[in-house]
Amino acid sequence: MDNNNEMSTAATMLATVLAFVLALLAFYGLDHFFMSIQGLPLNLDLTPAG
Amino acid sequence: MSNNSMQTASCSRLLLWFSLFVALLFGSGGMNLVYAADTGVASSSLQERIAPVGRVQVDGQEPIPQAAVSKVRGEKPELIVAPRPSRGDYPDIGISSRAVVWVLAQMHLFFGALVLAVPLFVLVIEFMGFKTGDERYDVMAHEFMKISLTGFSITAIFGGSLALALFVLYPDFMGYMMHVFGAQWLVYAGLFFLESFFLYTYYYGWNAMRYGNLKWVHLTLGLLLNASGMTIMVLANSWATFMMAPSGVNEVGAVIGNIWEIMKGPLWNPINLHRFIANIAFGGAVVGAYAAFKFLSTRDPEKRAHYDWMGYTSNFIGILAFLPLPFAGYWLMAEVYAYSQQMGITAMGGILAWLFIVQAVLIGTILLAGNFYLWSGMSRTEGSVRYQPLIKYIAFVLVICFLTWVTPHTLILSASEIAELGGSHHHVLGPLGIMPAKNIAVNLMLIATFLSFQLYRRSDKVATVSWARAGNALLVAIYVVAMVNIIFLGVYYGYFTNTVYKVGSSVAQVGSTLVVIVAGIVIDSLMFKNAKTLPSHWGKIPDRSQYALFALPIAFTWLMGLMGYVRSSVKTHWHVYTVMKDNSPDNFIPTIGYAGNMITIVTVLFLLFVLFMFWIANLSATKQPKPVAISEGGVA
Repeated sequence: MDNNNEMSTAATMLATVLAFVLALLAFYGLDHFFMSIQGLPLNLDLTPAG
Repeated sequence: MSNNSMQTASCSRLLLWFSLFVALLFGSGGMNLVYAADTGVASSSLQERIAPVGRVQVDGQEPIPQAAVSKVRGEKPELIVAPRPSRGDYPDIGISSRAVVWVLAQMHLFFGALVLAVPLFVLVIEFMGFKTGDERYDVMAHEFMKISLTGFSITAIFGGSLALALFVLYPDFMGYMMHVFGAQWLVYAGLFFLESFFLYTYYYGWNAMRYGNLKWVHLTLGLLLNASGMTIMVLANSWATFMMAPSGVNEVGAVIGNIWEIMKGPLWNPINLHRFIANIAFGGAVVGAYAAFKFLSTRDPEKRAHYDWMGYTSNFIGILAFLPLPFAGYWLMAEVYAYSQQMGITAMGGILAWLFIVQAVLIGTILLAGNFYLWSGMSRTEGSVRYQPLIKYIAFVLVICFLTWVTPHTLILSASEIAELGGSHHHVLGPLGIMPAKNIAVNLMLIATFLSFQLYRRSDKVATVSWARAGNALLVAIYVVAMVNIIFLGVYYGYFTNTVYKVGSSVAQVGSTLVVIVAGIVIDSLMFKNAKTLPSHWGKIPDRSQYALFALPIAFTWLMGLMGYVRSSVKTHWHVYTVMKDNSPDNFIPTIGYAGNMITIVTVLFLLFVLFMFWIANLSATKQPKPVAISEGGVA
């Protein structure tokens, strides 16, 4: 969001891709966590396991 | 505070104490009368009424003597059941008793919410001023207290009037409540002494305890003021939740538990949390209107800068408290459903369901007004040009979600309209009328509002840390993935799996929203540590932005009145749900139109009193110039 030239464009691209991968993994894990603590387990593909 | 307002305060306190005295007298002395008259049966048959509770009696056998049972089981023999008043037991005053109590109770709650909330954030602002050494915080906190001081008196006046009205118009019901809550009423009355003591020492001791260790004493007084105020609130909440979901009594209303069991009903904590958060949002909105009023009424740049900053702070408090409010409301409704599905369906699936559409309109108004104010506020700093292109996308998300939220599920249609539509639900828009779509809309609106808030906070800063781009990339990823996740959870589990997963997915949606908010705060706090600060020009904001600050308290007040009506109406024809029936002429859920008129009347009345409060706050700062003496031979 801010202009900062400390990082090169390639590094920024890499950081962006990594950030999205991290966010995807985090929310995937959170979905499993929030459903399982309610006694509603999910399969790996997020379909209901119950 | 002027002498006049001090006299008003004293009078209102006296009125409150008088009412409490009458209440205690009436409640304790009147109990025998109530129980002899209300049930219309002799005391021996009263014992028979409660006999099945706690002992078994076989048909055809002689009743087991109560004394013997008590001796064996150690029960107290004096169990008193809830009264059963007949229509004639309710005084007829020529107008609807419910309408009288409705207006008084709502006004008391509005002002009560205000005066409980303001000292909470005043204490925080004062503490910030103390820690940072910035006197502006201290001045602003003091001014917030000055505005709300008249509100304490008005709260007491309406509280006293409400107590009197209840005891006069609903004597049996109030007698029963006095019996159930017993000595808790005395604790409640005692807390008024404490709150008054801390209020006056906190306000009037402000300048006397301004620096050094004395400031700590002053902050402690503020803390104790809030502690007594919060305790008053949770005690009063227990009466409302006892009426909705009684605990500590048996099925005929006889007290079988201690006071803690009576207070700690299933809805008590959800209501406590919901009211606590809502009060802060409401208080922030009302004092924001004061700042807007002062901003618009002066041309002095210094004062405009001060009131602009005050308005910004108020909006900040209001919106920040508002963000978690839907989640607290969700918890409350979940507990209502868990306690009684019938009660939950009455609220959200029956006649009252339409009010949730009106609620959506009001919440949409609040969010749009709050966002508009933030966008307008960006003009205070040149750094905001970096973020202004994003505003149109945020506005787009807000409007689409708002339209989704206000889409009703079941339409009120004539036969010809149903034929034209091809069914009772619209084939395209129908799916937007149920909860999964609403949940998506609410969560996305909250995320969009938080984004506006975050951009505003960033607009006068430039990050200097080396990882700023990576941090921004992470933040963008969190926003995008969270929004996609919320839509996925709502659509997939909401429309393509069973109900249990549908309801469960809403928790994951809330979790996603909270992750965005927490991540946004944490990343920005780290990224903008030692950031380069761009100049902000307080007072440089369009006048039209101030009208958003007026819209907020109006929408909040109407919303509180509306949802209060829903909360109270779910009891249907019961004073105390399933325990004490309401046999008064008003023992039915009023029509939506009637309720709308009542809520509007109370809202307008509240706003008039708020204007009076602002005027009093202004009056105390006004000083009449000394008249010039008339000299001999003409006017000097």
